[in-house]
Amino acid sequence: MAKPLSALRERLLEAGVAPRHVSRYVKELQDHLTDLRAEEERAGRSRTEAEAIALSRLGAVNELAQAMIGKRQLLSLSSRAPWAMFGVAPVVLLAAAWFAALLILWTGWQMFLPGTQTPFVAQPGSIFRLENVYFQFGRMIYFGAPFLIGWGIVWLAARQRLSSYWPALSFVLVAGLAATAQVHALRPSGEGTTGHVMLGFGVDDVAAVMVHFSVIFMATLLPYAVVRWRRRSATI
Amino acid sequence: MMSFTMAARASNPDFMNGVPELLILRLLKNAEMYGYEIVQAIRSGTDEVVVAGEGVVYPVLHGLESDGAIKSRRKLVNGRSRIYYKTTRAGERRLAELTGKWTELAGAIQKVLAGAKAAAVQRMIGGFYGEAA
Repeated sequence: MAKPLSALRERLLEAGVAPRHVSRYVKELQDHLTDLRAEEERAGRSRTEAEAIALSRLGAVNELAQAMIGKRQLLSLSSRAPWAMFGVAPVVLLAAAWFAALLILWTGWQMFLPGTQTPFVAQPGSIFRLENVYFQFGRMIYFGAPFLIGWGIVWLAARQRLSSYWPALSFVLVAGLAATAQVHALRPSGEGTTGHVMLGFGVDDVAAVMVHFSVIFMATLLPYAVVRWRRRSATI
Repeated sequence: MMSFTMAARASNPDFMNGVPELLILRLLKNAEMYGYEIVQAIRSGTDEVVVAGEGVVYPVLHGLESDGAIKSRRKLVNGRSRIYYKTTRAGERRLAELTGKWTELAGAIQKVLAGAKAAAVQRMIGGFYGEAA
């Protein structure tokens, strides 16, 4: 790729243009440049001359960038509504994942532990027994969701060259929710009735909450810091 | 940010507003074209009076596509994958609207110019007879 086009790509991503539009724009400009160079070579110019004229005919990086940045409909959602992407979306995704995890817990309780007072009981026997795999799958969703969502934010922020403010806010939000979330099981109220599982938020043990928060926050912040550091090193 | 210019003089963004869209929609109404072809067609079709800053034709195309006025598809031509554009029904409606506006504007300007010309001729004739008297 011609150097000006690489610079243009970075500039557009930093300005908030959606990555799919940036990729397509750069690809089209690259093709256009090839056509222009061929046209100039057909006119009898040397390869070097043709390249220089083609680049000049294509337009300056600033002109090419401004033409794209000025079209608001081509900006990414993260750029137009960062509060939605980094505030609302992680909470919605976390809620969806926890709903799935609690559903697994509740259905597992009904299927494998009918009549027991709580689904939080030790599973005797092989760890590969169906009921154990079923419950562990739910646990994996419950505990893994904050990490996956955090890493998704890292990927999004890196891909779109976003500033640190919104991703950092998102990491705090996800880690805070995950660290204070508590799953409760309510006993069946009578014979033949089913119990309930519910999710609440609270801080019973400050130290445990702080540890949980720090683990999730650092696990998402560190990859983000590495990505930013690598990008900065590449541009210097 | 105006991407199209009148040859040999500075562009006027207010007067040129909507011209790139108008020209592109008109070209794509008849044929499916890719960016380079569009720029060349504008150059030759306007006798190089309207010259597109070649690369900036793509943001206009992307904007029109995002508005639903044109659609694109990838096509393999001579071993190269190109993105071809074509006007949609919504684009044809927009073309009709822009054509109407542009015709109206051009007519109004022409009227002013013709009026100014007539007044100048009247002044000239008046001056001639005034001097003769």
